[in-house]
Amino acid sequence: MPRAELHARLFRLFLRAYPRPFREIYGAEMTRFFLDRLARARDAGGRGAVLRQWARAAADVAKTAAAERWGGRVRRTEPMKGREFMTSMLQDVRYAARRLRRTPLFTSFAIAILGVGIGLNAAVFNLVDTVLFRPSPFADPAEIVHIYQDSDDGEPSSTSFPAYREMAELTGIFAGVAATSPDKATWEDTDGPRPVSVEYATASYFPVLGLRPYRGRWFDTAHDRVGAELVAVVSYRTWRTRMGADPGVIGSTIRLNNQAVTIIGIGPKEFNGEAGALATDFWLSISSAPVGGPFRVANLDRRQDHWYLVKARLAPGVSVERARAAMDVLAQRLAEEYPELNEGRGITVFAHDEVRIHPEFDGGLFTAGMGVLVVAGLVLLLACSNLANLLLARGISRGPELAVRQALGSGRMQVARLLLVEALLLAGLGGAAGLGLAAWSVQLIPLLPLSVAWAGLDVGFDHRVVVFGVLLALATGLLSGLLPALRSARTDVAVALRDEGRGQSAGRGASLVRRGLVALQVAVSLVLVIGAGLLTRSLANAQRVAPGVDADRIALVETDLQRGGVSDAEVAVVAAQILERVEALPGVERAALTNRLPVQSGWTSTHVVEGYDPPSGTGSVELPVAIVSRGYFEAMGIPVLAGRTFTADDRPDAPPVIVVNETAARRFWGGDWARGRIRPEGAEGAWRRVVGVVGDVKVIDLREPPTPMIYYSAEQMPPAGFAVVARTSGDPATLLGTLRSTLRDVRPSLPVTRLATLDTHIGGALARLRAVTALLGGFSLLAMLLAGLGVYATVSFAVERRTREMGIRLVMGAAPARVAWMVVRESLTVVAAGVVAGLALATLAVRGVQTMLFGVGSMDGVTFAGASALLLAATGIAALLPARRAARADPVEALKSR
Amino acid sequence: MNPPVFYILLALAEREMHGLGIADWVEAKTEGAVELGPGTLYRSLKEMLEAGLIREAAPPERDADPRRKYYAITAEGRRRVSEEAARLERLVEVARGVKLLPRRA
Repeated sequence: MPRAELHARLFRLFLRAYPRPFREIYGAEMTRFFLDRLARARDAGGRGAVLRQWARAAADVAKTAAAERWGGRVRRTEPMKGREFMTSMLQDVRYAARRLRRTPLFTSFAIAILGVGIGLNAAVFNLVDTVLFRPSPFADPAEIVHIYQDSDDGEPSSTSFPAYREMAELTGIFAGVAATSPDKATWEDTDGPRPVSVEYATASYFPVLGLRPYRGRWFDTAHDRVGAELVAVVSYRTWRTRMGADPGVIGSTIRLNNQAVTIIGIGPKEFNGEAGALATDFWLSISSAPVGGPFRVANLDRRQDHWYLVKARLAPGVSVERARAAMDVLAQRLAEEYPELNEGRGITVFAHDEVRIHPEFDGGLFTAGMGVLVVAGLVLLLACSNLANLLLARGISRGPELAVRQALGSGRMQVARLLLVEALLLAGLGGAAGLGLAAWSVQLIPLLPLSVAWAGLDVGFDHRVVVFGVLLALATGLLSGLLPALRSARTDVAVALRDEGRGQSAGRGASLVRRGLVALQVAVSLVLVIGAGLLTRSLANAQRVAPGVDADRIALVETDLQRGGVSDAEVAVVAAQILERVEALPGVERAALTNRLPVQSGWTSTHVVEGYDPPSGTGSVELPVAIVSRGYFEAMGIPVLAGRTFTADDRPDAPPVIVVNETAARRFWGGDWARGRIRPEGAEGAWRRVVGVVGDVKVIDLREPPTPMIYYSAEQMPPAGFAVVARTSGDPATLLGTLRSTLRDVRPSLPVTRLATLDTHIGGALARLRAVTALLGGFSLLAMLLAGLGVYATVSFAVERRTREMGIRLVMGAAPARVAWMVVRESLTVVAAGVVAGLALATLAVRGVQTMLFGVGSMDGVTFAGASALLLAATGIAALLPARRAARADPVEALKSR
Repeated sequence: MNPPVFYILLALAEREMHGLGIADWVEAKTEGAVELGPGTLYRSLKEMLEAGLIREAAPPERDADPRRKYYAITAEGRRRVSEEAARLERLVEVARGVKLLPRRA
């Protein structure tokens, strides 16, 4: 077959794309036309040109054949080039932007919803990523191993310092072994005392990890023994956030636990502490162990205390397996040398990538992190489904416009693309808002009610979050835009122009899914609103609780004489001096000291109460104890109900006495306390006589039930760590600075571990409840907003579809209110279903907050009813808005607008 | 007016032509910038016939191939293409006015 004939046959095959009548009229000429062009191309440019000609013809045929079959106009003379495509894309974007600007309410609502959804996800991702996934900043992490001695339960736990030394002395296995031990300390800078995280580390620590300080230097081996100077390396983050990034800090001294420590370096940018995300404020050398107190020094030689975490870098060519074998041998040796401590205690080696924070927590962290991500993802999914609903409703109301566009020559794909671009544009704006929100949320983390360990969470905001947010926005746009886009593109031009799209309702299935989603949103938000309601009531109740003290006008300063270098023999004297000086301050009416402030966890001790047989059957009760000085009850405004309080006669050599609170008096002696005696368990015969009864004071928590408590006399049993409370004549806050300096005047070495007014101190006890309430409240508002939006979207959808029907009803004389009601009623059944499901769900879910409730049952009817009413009202308004608009429409217009 | 329709009318305004001739003419006049593909060309021709902008014409005697269809412009087609040209001219004048194009010498 000649080559030309082959081309002709192939081209005729292509022509089958056209409808038969067209083919019959023009087919032959088109073939000739094409062969002519092909011949010309072959003459001009050979095989390549022929192929190009084919490609061009194929595109031309495909386009015009589609147009010939399904309508539309021939528009283009040549295939769209890349640049043209961009231009037309830009046009779409511009057009979409113009449309969005024309409906500012819809647009801002959609952006807000997506912003919150994406922001929440990005923030959560940021947190989870920081804790679990961010890559290791260490050099050659494959060479790093984590080594743990077993706990008594046989689980990999932590290592004693002597055991670390033995690991470090092994030869041939490790290039370096390092030990660190996290701790807390009090840092006193010009703003007062604040808790910081510190980490004691051997000089080998940075070399093992392959890290270098940002500035200054790291410890050297001389710092590995107690007796050398006290030195610290400040973490980069702390240097930036708390020291104003001042390079002059190197060489300066800071006061940690009231000891002077010299800063010799600033940590690396990319690493702010052991255990991945948990930031350290200061690394301290082993020579700085005295900062942690005498016990931390002693600990360096104690095999029974496992305070250290060990990391090692494998020597070149040594495998993890060989390190494991070596550690098994070491464990064996230790078991033989110290059988009473190390019998059966293994040593486990993990490769670096097997450990994130600690083998014991990693599993739980992973589960929790993924759980939070999933919940946040669900919220976003709800937001997406709502946006899709809204776009769908918009798409239907735009049916005629889109049909006109198609009739004027826009391809179906172009119309679909336009809608998709609109959704993507919304998602993009929402994503930008969300990322802003997430970036801002980083600043909220320190405010979260996290434990001290988590308060140091080193959460930054890096490109990984931005990438995540952008991807999320893209997915959101596609997810919420694709369905409406495809639906609109399917619109039949002729039908749409005639019926304006009202003939087509969404399929039954789609409509059911939509209603189901709305009901689900209502249910979920109801659960959240109920939870937030219960917590709010608890908070209100807790704030009304009388703590049992007159907290106005009391300033307090807390110190620890022992840490301040005061010997046991001097404690009573120094305490008396402090008290005397504080009492002499102008503006102070009374002062006293206590080793235990109200509403604070603290010392409890097991006591035997004479004549009282506790239900526990052990013969003894565990009682919270406070040691207070003379005048404490008077200064604090705690009423003396019977007997006396401590007096000057209760000297150390006088018979030991005790004051009890009202609940103790009632519970132990039925109120007949006068002959009551109490002694510490194990101290046979050392009875202490009860001399008085005072009012109850909240011991640990404002929400606790009445709790028995006993008071010892500070004169008889001087405490080394205590708070001085001072009742003032004026504003107690103004006295704080003076209190601190007074303390320093007595002994410059005394640490200040707390400095506050009693009001703040008591208010702080509710901080956690307050934070959880605020968080849940925020979530429930968001959920309610989403549910409202969902209802709004479905009703708008229904209204758009039924404008004409409603117009007819209005013309026939139906009252506008009735017409509106007709639409609202439909969505109310959905809402009602959601409310019922939500109530059922809530009865289970409230268990999650049960422990935090106070003065309100978890099945509190008022809260349940109130929350349901609130939700019904919110969704009712959401439904009413579009319905009212429809009912108000001019019936004639509604009819004409078909 | 769609560009292919405009070009086809321009070609036929000069003289009667067959399909391939129109495409060649357009290519020559636009110095190769505009190539009408077979589908675009014949579909446009069909629509223009339907719209009364062109009509089929008898092939001239010298053309040996009787299968070829010749097309001629109608009065309506001529009116529309002049209108379009005038509209474009006005546009060009506007463009000159804002100094997007050099003034005619």
